[in-house]
Formats: sequence, C-alpha cells, structure tokens
Amino acid sequence: MAVCSAYTTQSLNSTCSISTPAKTHLGFHQKQVVFYRRSSKRGGSGSSSGPCVITCSAGDSQTVVIGLAADSGCGKSTFMRRLTSVFGGAAEPPKGGNPDSNTLISDMTTVICLDDYHSLDRTGRKEKGVTALDPRANDFDLMYEQVKAIKSGVAVDKPIYNHVTGLLDPPELIKPPKILVIEGLHPMFDERVRDLLDFSIYLDISNEVKFAWKIQRDMAERGHSLESIKASIEARKPDFDAYIDPQKKYADAVIEVLPTQLIPDDNEGKVLRVRLIMKEGVKHFSPVYLFDEGSTISWIPCGRKLTCSYPGIKFHYGPDTYFGNEVSILEMDGQFDRLDELIYVESHLSNISTKFYGEVTQQMLKHADFPGSNNGTGLFQTIVGLKIRDLYEQITSSKTAAPLEATKA
Amino acid sequence: MATLRFNSLTGTLEKNPTSSFSSNPRLSWAYFQCNNKGERRASRMTVKAMGAAKYKGTQMREKKLTEMIEKKVSEAKQVCEGDETSDECKVAWDEVEEVSQAKADLRLRLEIEKKDPLESFCQENPETEECKIYED
Repeated sequence: MAVCSAYTTQSLNSTCSISTPAKTHLGFHQKQVVFYRRSSKRGGSGSSSGPCVITCSAGDSQTVVIGLAADSGCGKSTFMRRLTSVFGGAAEPPKGGNPDSNTLISDMTTVICLDDYHSLDRTGRKEKGVTALDPRANDFDLMYEQVKAIKSGVAVDKPIYNHVTGLLDPPELIKPPKILVIEGLHPMFDERVRDLLDFSIYLDISNEVKFAWKIQRDMAERGHSLESIKASIEARKPDFDAYIDPQKKYADAVIEVLPTQLIPDDNEGKVLRVRLIMKEGVKHFSPVYLFDEGSTISWIPCGRKLTCSYPGIKFHYGPDTYFGNEVSILEMDGQFDRLDELIYVESHLSNISTKFYGEVTQQMLKHADFPGSNNGTGLFQTIVGLKIRDLYEQITSSKTAAPLEATKA
Repeated sequence: MATLRFNSLTGTLEKNPTSSFSSNPRLSWAYFQCNNKGERRASRMTVKAMGAAKYKGTQMREKKLTEMIEKKVSEAKQVCEGDETSDECKVAWDEVEEVSQAKADLRLRLEIEKKDPLESFCQENPETEECKIYED
C-alpha cells in the first residue's frame, strides 16, 4: 500500500490543483491517487471542488532544493564536492549512463547542471547570435516544471547538454534525492524557480580574481594567450552583467572573492579576501558570527597565542545592508599555513552548525588537495555546506512533525 | 658566452592552487633570457601535466577539446576584427570560454578523482571503441 503524504500547504485548503496524467513530453513519471472531497459545510454552500488528483510518490518526498549561481562550469566545481562531502559519500556521475553527463549523484544529494536546460545548442546559439548567458538560450519553463516535479517527489527525464560536442543529448532519469542542488548560470533568474529554492548561494568573483584564475586555467593551452583570455572575459562581460550578476540580490548567501588587501598591488590572485554575505531573516538559516552577534568586529588571530607567516590572516564581521536587504558579513583575508591556525579560527566562530568541535577543520583537511583549502573560499564553502546540512535537518524534522490530515468524511 | 636566467612564477608550483576554478598545480612558466653577443632572446616554456587518462575515449576527448580551443580562439579573433561589439564576436568568445572550461573540468576530474571519468561507463560497455585502453 502506497502512502500519500498530504502536506498542509495553502494550496490544499481551498482548491486542489489538478494535474493530468502522462505529460510525456515533459518527461514526468507519476503515480496518482484520486481523492474525492466533499465540502465539509452542510447545506452545500461551500465550493464543490470535484475530484482532486494528488500526486504521490512511494517514498519520502521531502526534497530540499538548493540553488548555486556560478560562472565556472557545472557540477564538478570544488564547492559541490565540499558540499556533498559534508553529507558523507563522494559524488559521482550516474553510473552506466551518458559519459558526458553533467550530473553528480551521492547518497543524499544530486547536483544538476543548469546548462542541461539550454534550449539552443552551440550551433543554435551561433545562428541566433546569443551567448549561453542569455536567457533566450535557456528553457526556463522546462527548468521550472522539472525542479518542481523533483521537489514533489516525481522522477523526471532531464535533457543532457554535452559540453564536448555542444549538442543536446538524449535525457537521463533523475530520481528525487533528499537534497537537489541546481548549479549554473541562472538558478535565480526565473521567479518561479526562485520560489522553489529552499536556499540559494551566489559565487561572486571579482574581475581581477577572475582574470588571474583564468590565466592559471588557460595559459597552458595552445591557442590561448593573455590577450585571448582578456578578450574572452571582456566579450562576455555585457551579457554577464545584464543577466547573471543581478541574481545576487536574491541570494541568501553570497560568497564574494576579491584580491587581498594585505599585500599592496598583488595581482596574482593567490592570496584572497573572501566575504560571506548572509541574509538576515532567512528561514532555517542563522548567520555565522564572530564573538558578539550583531556587533562589528575586526580580528587578527595572529599574535601571542598563534604565530602566522606572511601575509597573515585578518577577519572582519559586522552587520550591513546589501541591495536593500539586512545582512551580516563575515570576511577573511589571508591564508592558513598550518592546521593549528585553522582550528584556532574555527574555535572562535559561532553558529557554524558543526556537530562536533573541529568539524570544519576536519572537512577542510579531508580535501586539502582541493583548490582554496588554505583560504576563505574553502573555509566559507565548507561552512555553507554545514549550514545547508543544518537547514536540511530543520526542514525535514518540521515536515515529519506536521500531522497528516486525512480528508474528513 | 650565454647566461641563462630562470625565473618561475611564484606560487604556481605549490600543491594547492588558491583558485577554485583553476586546476593545474603542475603548471610552471619559465622565462629564459640568453645574453649572447648583446642579443636577447626571450622564450617561454610551459609544462603541462595531466592526470593519467586510461581509456581511449577520455584521450580522444582531451585531444578534441585541445584542438577546439585553438580553433575557436583563432575563429574569435577573425570574427571580432570587424566589430568587437557585434553579437557574432560575443558568441565566438563565449564558445572559447565554454570549451576552455570543459577542458579544465576534465583536467580537474582526472586530478582530483584520480580515475578516468569513463570508468563506470566502461565497466558496463567494455567492447566500445571508447573503452579501449589507451596506450601512449
């Protein structure tokens, strides 16, 4: 016997949304139960809503959806690896499927690359004269329908965009995971998709750091030069500023990566200043703070108890506003050289949602070979991962506590 | 007599590059300047090491992406000669970015996961062309 969970959401109070079976072109797999609901008011003056179809899944459909906006390719970034690692287990591509799939699956999480929702493949974009950054190259209707379906416990056949061939490959089946992460250029662009997100993050890399990183990434490639790297960034900038950048005001957390202020005129992008901008008042999310919540703190941990090598470490914490929202900002400039620096810093941070003392350090050490493991990018990505775990546990415990209301006869 | 001076870009030889999105800790640049009868010649040497690719399919992808980067950069330069602000120019550089990132992703995967991305595919389909073991 299948159990259908009826959540006490507003949509079930008055009318039931009726969904038709087999929307095959959108790739849905549905198991449906039809409930007939009689008006509870005597005298028949209440609205008779007729038969309601409630979509059920056989399992526990409490998928938490996280959005990550990043301009760095999909599903393979170190942020995703750190995040899935917090939940345990390694994230891998779907076994035996398309080898060029962008999807990553672990025990608890599935990471979907939003490039899979390109409506135009590489040739199509060339013909129409639009970049991948342009909303016209993406099918937001499909994105919304499928994320909504997965969130409500229904598996979908999601297209695959092949970055090697530049073509759209046949779809792959995505089963609803406990946590769905949608990563890409436009997770917060469409309002309907935005409303499905339980938490959203924007990775904001400053122009100087982006340039330095792309040099490291591309200089070894035949064909590339400083000029070509620069030209590529400049050519994409107008579309990036128009379509991608505006999403940051919607994010619950922004990780901003800037050049360091500790070394004058540093342009190597090696030492970084990283700011974790956390929105206040987000459900199930309590911002990380230093020493005294809501106050403004400047902290240099290096001194008598802790010796650091050049250029050292500098922290800042305080309240601020960001695009009209109340936020708290935690900032780290510099880098970790030794394990004890990391654990010293961790012991002074509050609200980091660890399950035991030293968990942040342990996670950072587990992936010491990942880029960013010695600076704020790795630290804040790990902390955000722990906050997401905390958010997930809060959401799932609050849902199981809600009583199941059977229809009253 | 020629003197050889070797400068390497600091930091790029460390094991932990700081960028989340760069992926090549074994990259090094060397500038060689030869002083020979007052003539100076500077040449640049780049060394690239990738994690070992095991299957032919992965080696083919690497090769294809490398070629595409080169090809698309020169296409973009051509297209943009006329009008740098044109849509065609934008799209051309966007394609360069796409394939550059795809190559970097493949490189990162080989290094971090230390196994061939085709591993699980080839367990199930060992007879395909892509799954022949690549021998250099």
